[in-house]
Amino acid sequence: MSEFKMTTIEEMEAATNRLLETGAKVGADAWQFRVKNQTPHCKFGEQGVCCRICAMGPCRITPKAPRGICGCDAHGIVGRNFLKFTAAGAATHSDHGREICHTLYCTAEDGNYKVKDPDKLLRLAKEWGVETEGKDIYDLAHEMAEIGLMEYGKPFGYQKFLDRMPEGQKEKLIENEIAPRAIDREVSTSLHMAHMGCSSLPEALVKQSLRAGMADGWGGSMMGTEFSDVLFGTPKPIDTEANLGVMVAENVNIVVHGHDPSLSEMICEYADSPEMIAYAKEMGAKGITVSGVCCTSNEVAMRRGVPMAGNFLQQENVVLTGACEAIVVDVQCIFPALGPLSKCFHTKFVTTSPIAQMPDSEFIRFNAETAGENAKAIVKMAIENFKNRKPELVHIPDMKAKATVGYSVEAIVKTLDGVTNSQVDETGTTKPLLECITSGVIRGAVAMVGCNNPKIRPDYAHIELMKKLIANDIIVIASGCSAQAAAKAGLMDKSAKEICGAGLKRVCELADIPPVLHMGSCVDISRMMILAAELAKDSGLQINQLPVVGCAPEWMSEKAVSIGNYVVGTGIDTFLGVDPYVSGSSEMCELLTEGTRKWTGAAYTVETDIEKLTDLMIERIEEKRTALGI
Amino acid sequence: MTLFERVFNGNDAVYGLTEQAIDAAIAQHGEEKAVSFPNTAYCLPCYYAVTGVKVTNLKELKEALGVVKTLMTREPRLNDAFMSGVATALCAEFIEALKYIDGAAPYEEPLYGHLADAVIRELGVPLVTGDIPGVAVILGSAPTVEEGVALVKSYQAQGILVTLVGGICDQVAEAGMATGANVRVIPLGKDVTAVIHVVSVALRAALIFGNVTPGDAKTLMEYTMQRVPAFVNAFAPLDDVIVACGAGAIALGFPVITNETENIARVPKSLIVQEDVSKFNATSLEARDIKIKITNIDIPVAFASAFEGEIIRRG
Repeated sequence: MSEFKMTTIEEMEAATNRLLETGAKVGADAWQFRVKNQTPHCKFGEQGVCCRICAMGPCRITPKAPRGICGCDAHGIVGRNFLKFTAAGAATHSDHGREICHTLYCTAEDGNYKVKDPDKLLRLAKEWGVETEGKDIYDLAHEMAEIGLMEYGKPFGYQKFLDRMPEGQKEKLIENEIAPRAIDREVSTSLHMAHMGCSSLPEALVKQSLRAGMADGWGGSMMGTEFSDVLFGTPKPIDTEANLGVMVAENVNIVVHGHDPSLSEMICEYADSPEMIAYAKEMGAKGITVSGVCCTSNEVAMRRGVPMAGNFLQQENVVLTGACEAIVVDVQCIFPALGPLSKCFHTKFVTTSPIAQMPDSEFIRFNAETAGENAKAIVKMAIENFKNRKPELVHIPDMKAKATVGYSVEAIVKTLDGVTNSQVDETGTTKPLLECITSGVIRGAVAMVGCNNPKIRPDYAHIELMKKLIANDIIVIASGCSAQAAAKAGLMDKSAKEICGAGLKRVCELADIPPVLHMGSCVDISRMMILAAELAKDSGLQINQLPVVGCAPEWMSEKAVSIGNYVVGTGIDTFLGVDPYVSGSSEMCELLTEGTRKWTGAAYTVETDIEKLTDLMIERIEEKRTALGI
Repeated sequence: MTLFERVFNGNDAVYGLTEQAIDAAIAQHGEEKAVSFPNTAYCLPCYYAVTGVKVTNLKELKEALGVVKTLMTREPRLNDAFMSGVATALCAEFIEALKYIDGAAPYEEPLYGHLADAVIRELGVPLVTGDIPGVAVILGSAPTVEEGVALVKSYQAQGILVTLVGGICDQVAEAGMATGANVRVIPLGKDVTAVIHVVSVALRAALIFGNVTPGDAKTLMEYTMQRVPAFVNAFAPLDDVIVACGAGAIALGFPVITNETENIARVPKSLIVQEDVSKFNATSLEARDIKIKITNIDIPVAFASAFEGEIIRRG
């Protein structure tokens, strides 16, 4: 057995510093410098007490000026800002889900997009009560896509996926006005409520924040995930690698960045084609390497094993290697800085979505009908760009870690089937995991999600928290940039069982899994919600009773706030390492950290001391265990 | 009560008994009195395998008990439950060793008690070649004599080495079943502490055949988990002491299959509740990943390598 060695934060930082030297040579800007220019941040903004929703303002709350011009107090202002923050996140995920529905609607037997997992489509159709008998799979796909699209704007009723919750939970959410109706309606209603002269009652604003979040988690995101699986295949365990060392100096390097797999899947498809590989060789390269950044990377890693070059705050590093022929992006979390940065190198910065257009980029409008030609044109452009590389600027840090990814709920259940005993157990359930938890072999589970944020040493919180959790026999499921941090460090290598507590180590050995399970991109946090619901149903408990918590230690985006709200809305306590701009209102703080409990059974814990954050999570998990008598 | 609490309780109980027994022995024989099992080069084999220290007299045994105490941590974590299980096993070895003081012969036929190194060397080769595909440790009393005997015979017919502890020893005797190392059914003893004599087999196998350095507990436990295909069948009712012993078995990689349904937590592949004793065999083999290819020969008597050493007596 080879000794397990993690990649340390210090090593990653040294690699980044070396890349910044290249940047200095070519006069490149970087987030590290921009952060310095922006700090210290405005206190009013940080505390959430600055309001600019009408032209009477901007207003800000101080002890001398406790109310805005309209008379709104700090609690109302903070509450409205929080709601708008959430609504934007929900809109973002939901629009992503909508695009996927459209892509599903464009599938055809001989089209760019096909139905890769017809079984999953049939299961979903059955769940929604859609007749499948004797129906062509593509007719069914189009019908399901239309029904899915209706979820965004249907005039009556609640989100269909709420029926996946354990008995009684949906009713409780309806009773408390947290159950999401149409997805777009919740976003609109949020913006309506936050308009001047509408809601300023913190309780109402928090409730709507939860409902907008739930429209994302149990609506838009879930739709995005489920239909992405139908289109591109449901992830299964697959081996891959992570960190910048996955880029290959001799090859044409194409980096996909963004979120929607409709683009990245198509790019991967063409980059793999013999025709394009031959063309790359003609241009003097040895081949083509596609790697990813951010959530689109998670999507193609989960389904194709495409290596992950890095997470959010590493996006500029990809270009700084000098070996990136093209960075192809779609939507969300893309630094506009990539435009000017790419101009310092030979790198082509290719934007593809009308939703995310940026200066200094080459815009190739990508859509489902012409996806094949678009992708081919992009891959070709990258190949032809290989000759423009400046060899004196090329430096790829020799740093990568092995990772096993692809843990969809379906894959987790299949893995659990592997440890059942055919003489006593049923298969196809989460019961083996529940048994591990009930017996105490595993103490609980933490869902680690979220971004990077320069306010926290990048990746430090993700990695250190996970190390401590797994050492305490707490299994970690991860998604988004948190998952990539884990992968880069080596925590998704099966050998990482060596740094686990005895319980989790034994589980990893018997189930042949890494201690940190990659469940996908940020929309795939909906997978975690499904898993929690399944665990609750299989154990006969409510979700809020499970010894499970969520954590976003380095969160940054509005999407993260929407996620937090639906995780709390689902009944899972959520731990944040960065304050969500609410410290300016005691009432909002109280509501978010305690008040939501009466509606959902869960609340937020905000703790910026990362060491304390883990201890608080472990404490909460043990409290939940004690309450269950296990 | 949680599973771990039961393990800790069982461990505390056995520790208390061991401490009393050692103190009583010192009071009776003095500190310098020699302690050993007969016919072994490994002193107290389990303690030696785990710590690398050879215990030779009561004074050293008392010191060793101090070391065992350090394994008895009480955090609610599997590591603590595992180590408490190991500590329970080591205490059992101390209690059993005290029975042999002064060359006493505490076990009489058909019970074996401690097994000599020679027996292990003899069984070791077929164990490594797979001729003995597994080692069953049957603990407690079967619901009925018939069920108990049927279970023992089912393993015997598969060539599995069967060791018996507790009421099952009487049950096979009552049924008039022939037992002994030659037919691979070994009644060890009636006290639960006698289970240590089969643990001692597994650990000495690791030292003899696995070339594990005594004291390298991590490698030792990996070896037993990967190479010694043992499993435990524990009949209800299970008290805390048995649960603590079970934790020790699971720590070594040996799954426990039981028909106990009260106050027990299931653990996949490790602690399996099988209410139907007639399915213990299939459940156990699957849990330990033991695959046996059986060619059934239709003959009127049982046929298995286990019967190779059988002695046919006149009459």
